[in-house]
Amino acid sequence: MTQALEAYEGIVGTPVIRQLRMLGEKLKGIQVTHVNSTSEGGGVAEILFWMIPLMRELGIDAHWKVIRGSDDFFPVTKSIHNGLQGTHTFISHKDWETYEKVNAENFQDLKDILQESDVVIIHDPQPAFLLKLCEKRRGKWIWRAHIDISRPSRRIWVQFRSYVEGYDSSIFSMFQFAQPLPHPQYIITPSIDPLSPKNIDLNESELESVRQQFKLDSGRPLLVQISRYDRFKDPVGVIEAYRMVRKILPVQLVLAGGGAADDPEGKRVFDEVMHAANNDPDIHVLLLPSDAHKTINALQRLADIIIQKSIKEGFGLTVTEGLWKGKPVIGGDVGGIQLQVINHHTGFLINTPEGAAHRIRFLLHHRNIMQQMGNTAREFVRGNFLLTRNIREYLTLILSLYRGETKGRIEV
Amino acid sequence: MEPFRIIDCALLQKMSGLPAAINLREMRERISSCSRNVLYHHFCETPLKPTFDYPDYRNDLAIWAKQRLGDDILAERLGIIDPYSFSSIDDLRKMVLEIFDERLNEVEVVPSSSKGYEFYFMETTIIIFDTGNKINHPDELSASIRNMTNSSIYFHVLDAKRRSIKGIDDFSTWLQTSEGNWDHYISAIQSIDVMFFTLGEIKNELVRLLDAARGSFVSEKRQ
Repeated sequence: MTQALEAYEGIVGTPVIRQLRMLGEKLKGIQVTHVNSTSEGGGVAEILFWMIPLMRELGIDAHWKVIRGSDDFFPVTKSIHNGLQGTHTFISHKDWETYEKVNAENFQDLKDILQESDVVIIHDPQPAFLLKLCEKRRGKWIWRAHIDISRPSRRIWVQFRSYVEGYDSSIFSMFQFAQPLPHPQYIITPSIDPLSPKNIDLNESELESVRQQFKLDSGRPLLVQISRYDRFKDPVGVIEAYRMVRKILPVQLVLAGGGAADDPEGKRVFDEVMHAANNDPDIHVLLLPSDAHKTINALQRLADIIIQKSIKEGFGLTVTEGLWKGKPVIGGDVGGIQLQVINHHTGFLINTPEGAAHRIRFLLHHRNIMQQMGNTAREFVRGNFLLTRNIREYLTLILSLYRGETKGRIEV
Repeated sequence: MEPFRIIDCALLQKMSGLPAAINLREMRERISSCSRNVLYHHFCETPLKPTFDYPDYRNDLAIWAKQRLGDDILAERLGIIDPYSFSSIDDLRKMVLEIFDERLNEVEVVPSSSKGYEFYFMETTIIIFDTGNKINHPDELSASIRNMTNSSIYFHVLDAKRRSIKGIDDFSTWLQTSEGNWDHYISAIQSIDVMFFTLGEIKNELVRLLDAARGSFVSEKRQ
């Protein structure tokens, strides 16, 4: 259940909400359709879950469509995803045909709405081919890349670029993630919903219930990494860091995540993590259902330190969530984590298990610094990474595209 | 008295299309040829971007010089530049290029960043819109500013310096052209050194100084 815009006033202030309403007024009635590949699990679905109702509340005729995939489609899109993020993967001619064929099947279902929408926003690589199929489109099409394609596998990028260069503009989460494309490329950092089950304040009994559910010891420090079981998140590296700290301090570790519907690799990585944990009773490896938002929320709040030891990262919404809960974050020095974790202010950027272990020990020995960092972290998110800022930037982009102007100052 | 129209704006960052610079020589080359909007963005629009509130310096070039080139001397020289003190962006560009040339003459090895920490040249699209709200009298200024967004503060205080021929903020311009003597408010507003405050802090300072100016003015009149 998403909240009405007014519910955010107490968090971001009345002027911010009033500003959104004014921007929405300029776009009243226009049809905006978002398309992605999963309705649950993963950051994109979470963003769309709150964005659609809020866009509607602002007067925009917003829609969210999810493409369906065959059993052989998602392994291909996972390979495209990995290849675009720089992993050397092979995609055969037949795989590309599968990708195009599934997009074509979905296009038959979505044809009417895609043709009539004023603005179509396609999220990530999975549905990107829809643009080429929609010859009778009348609106502006935006490709929203949530991933880092700064150093893609060249062969995969050459093929994939042909699918996205025809868009009217594209959006990246950070400028470092972009590739040159023949259209304007905007930067919109993602955000979190402070009133969603994953981020809303929880009372003591809710926290205690989760603590008991997973048999966590309230008397010992807790480290938590929330992420999908994905090699880019380096869960095994987190276990290595834990073991180094454990020699000195009696810490507990929670690794928790779910498998998104479009992530077939997750099971293999989960098995590797279980193997690395080696039945250590203080390592809690949790495979949570995609709707376990309050459980994740509670685990983050129970943590002393949030870890996000990624070796490749899009933006890293779990980092934002951790910071919002007033926790310092020790995160990999990659991608969007660099934008959120500011050394000595909101946490520490690290590159190795050794670096993570060093910073964990430092923080656990300096509780007052940890507290101060947590306070700074929450205010940093309030000012920069809540959904109100994100939706304002989408409205700004739609307004500028709708007005047919892509640069400079636009008076509306 | 003509009321003051409260304007708001929303900013969106965009890639400029220029290749990223990995060292000081490349930076010099790009700055010499980039558009005015790119230069303006990196010197003046930093307060509107989702970055940490307290970087060492208030322009992107100085921050990059310090954090990514590790060149504190260059960072200090760039960091003290007040972009609003130049009569045009091209004059600002000349000054920046002089600083780069001076530094390139001094160093034996051209300062470079590591891979992944290049400088990306950006520009912005700004949507400007009338909020429909007005300030009818200078005594209402403080209360109205308290309810403004940070982006309204940006528009009326920082962006105004670029738009105004005299390089002053919109509030002062309005007060100067309004009937009556509002020098006490103008002095209060212009006493803020905007280079060293975030937008939220500028807003709080405006409210605090305007309230104080009003208080002093009223008590002086009573005496």
